[in-house]
Amino acid sequence: MRRKLKIYLPFVNAGMQETATYRTNWVFWQLGNILGCFISYFLWRAIFLSSENGSMNGFTMPQMIVYIFLMFLTTTLINSGGTYDIGEEIRDGSISMRLIKPVSYNATFLFQELGNKIMTVCILIIPLVAGVEVVRYRFTGKMQFHIVMFLLYFLSAIFAYLINFFFNICFGFIAFVIKYLWGANMMKNCIVGFLSGQIIPLAFLPVMAKKILLVLPFASLNYTPVMIYMGMYTGKKLLMYLGLQLLWVIFFWGLSKLLWSAAIKHLSVQGG
Amino acid sequence: MNSRLIHVENISKRFKKPKSFKMEKESLRSIFLFQREYKNAVDGISFEIDEGEMVGLIGPNGAGKTVTLKILSGILRPDGGNVWIDGMNPYKDRKKYVAKIGVVFGHKSQITYDLTPLDTYGVLKCIYKIPANIYRDNLERFCDLLGVNEFINQPVYSLSMGQKVRAELVCALIHSPKILFLDEATIGIDVIGKEKVRKCLRELNKSDGMTMIFTSHDMKDIENTCDRLMIIDEGKMIYDGSKTSLYEEYSSQRMMEVEFEKPQQEIRLEHVVCTDSDNNPMSKYLYYNHSDVNYNEMILKLMRDYPVKDLAVREPEIEYIIREIYRKKKK
Repeated sequence: MRRKLKIYLPFVNAGMQETATYRTNWVFWQLGNILGCFISYFLWRAIFLSSENGSMNGFTMPQMIVYIFLMFLTTTLINSGGTYDIGEEIRDGSISMRLIKPVSYNATFLFQELGNKIMTVCILIIPLVAGVEVVRYRFTGKMQFHIVMFLLYFLSAIFAYLINFFFNICFGFIAFVIKYLWGANMMKNCIVGFLSGQIIPLAFLPVMAKKILLVLPFASLNYTPVMIYMGMYTGKKLLMYLGLQLLWVIFFWGLSKLLWSAAIKHLSVQGG
Repeated sequence: MNSRLIHVENISKRFKKPKSFKMEKESLRSIFLFQREYKNAVDGISFEIDEGEMVGLIGPNGAGKTVTLKILSGILRPDGGNVWIDGMNPYKDRKKYVAKIGVVFGHKSQITYDLTPLDTYGVLKCIYKIPANIYRDNLERFCDLLGVNEFINQPVYSLSMGQKVRAELVCALIHSPKILFLDEATIGIDVIGKEKVRKCLRELNKSDGMTMIFTSHDMKDIENTCDRLMIIDEGKMIYDGSKTSLYEEYSSQRMMEVEFEKPQQEIRLEHVVCTDSDNNPMSKYLYYNHSDVNYNEMILKLMRDYPVKDLAVREPEIEYIIREIYRKKKK
């Protein structure tokens, strides 16, 4: 196992160096995301200020604001570009250069992305968590940071990232059939964004819809870690949702392996 | 089980491609109608290659050379037929198999675009689990042979095309592969660089006994390196044999390049086929069989009937032979 992992270490390194090479791009990308986060903050503020009792679907305004910033933090931690990368490799045929290496196709993507993820997390996690805590302190008047909760949140975010990664890989394999994924990827991002509670908390949806969505893998992406951080899941409930996440990790990992072996038969490298 | 190193039996690969339309109106219609055409990129090719052979794979554009190499290197799975290389099935045992081969596709890149060649080599060292001393020796040897040292620490995006291709070649060699597949691996390299590459390949073949198959549109590449030629066209093998026997078969063929005072429409001579020159509108190429013509009569007639300015007789070059083979097949 350790020997096996060693083969993939250089991919982690390559991912980190890539991020370092295009630092300016990285900075603008993160700044853009932060701006987007503030837009939804002002939007929700306006909604809450116009509501009658200052509370909606069990969310108070301070809770909602913490939710927005936590959702942003979580999305930063767990986002994955696998779909786009695979789609591009299939479209321009560079997938063949990955196939001539004695390594697993999916694993090279995972470790390369882990490389730039490590960079992002190292740089951003402290300021972002501090930011969230400041917001929490300002709206509730007391310090709520709890190290155990934070570690559980981090574990849950790792699970969420793995689900997201393998889900995206599976989705990316569609490119073997339709060749160019840009449009399908946009559609997927919108749907997943909505179903995983990135845009509206799942608590705002009708009870039935919420119940269904909580079992589906999408809630395991963003919603579960955020709920853990906010202390909404505790004890048995928390374990149950972590277990569910783990189940989805295994499911999508297996599915990606299955789809890969089916898809590779379908390969017809484009561009000579 | 076969004792030969590479054993290819009746492989075929069919591609789906969207039907192309010539008129705008038809293109508009094609958005709604999915019409597909099938094309047999490789259509029943068989061959065997021994250890230590150097084989040139030639054919016109779209003949199926690259697809054949992709099947051999485990990237594509053939629709039919069997491939058996070094006791393995390239696509079923992909991970184990590709550790033993080196591949260069001249118009694809395996070197990481944002990093330096040396970074990529370091990655390859880990991937292929190359022992440190072998890695160091190989790196020194190949970088020297191919002249990569001068730009080994520059990011790849700052390299010229020829430099990049040379750096790619080192990627394919760094793990001392048993078999090397090169597809247009000298593309974009200047004359001196090409000579370096050819020299390197010959040396590897001779001293390391490395088996090689390569394609090139530069016949000099093939002529100076390969002993055996395989010519394919439209997915079918049309020639497979040694370079010398090909020469012998065509050794009685001659080509005469004739330059005239003014452009000529057609040259009528017995037993002679005439084509336009590639680079001079005043010139024609005359092809004939050495034993068929009487030189005296032919030249006299040519001088008498046409305003000849200059002429030169050549022995057949490989380029001409290949052209002859394509031409014969068309008929």
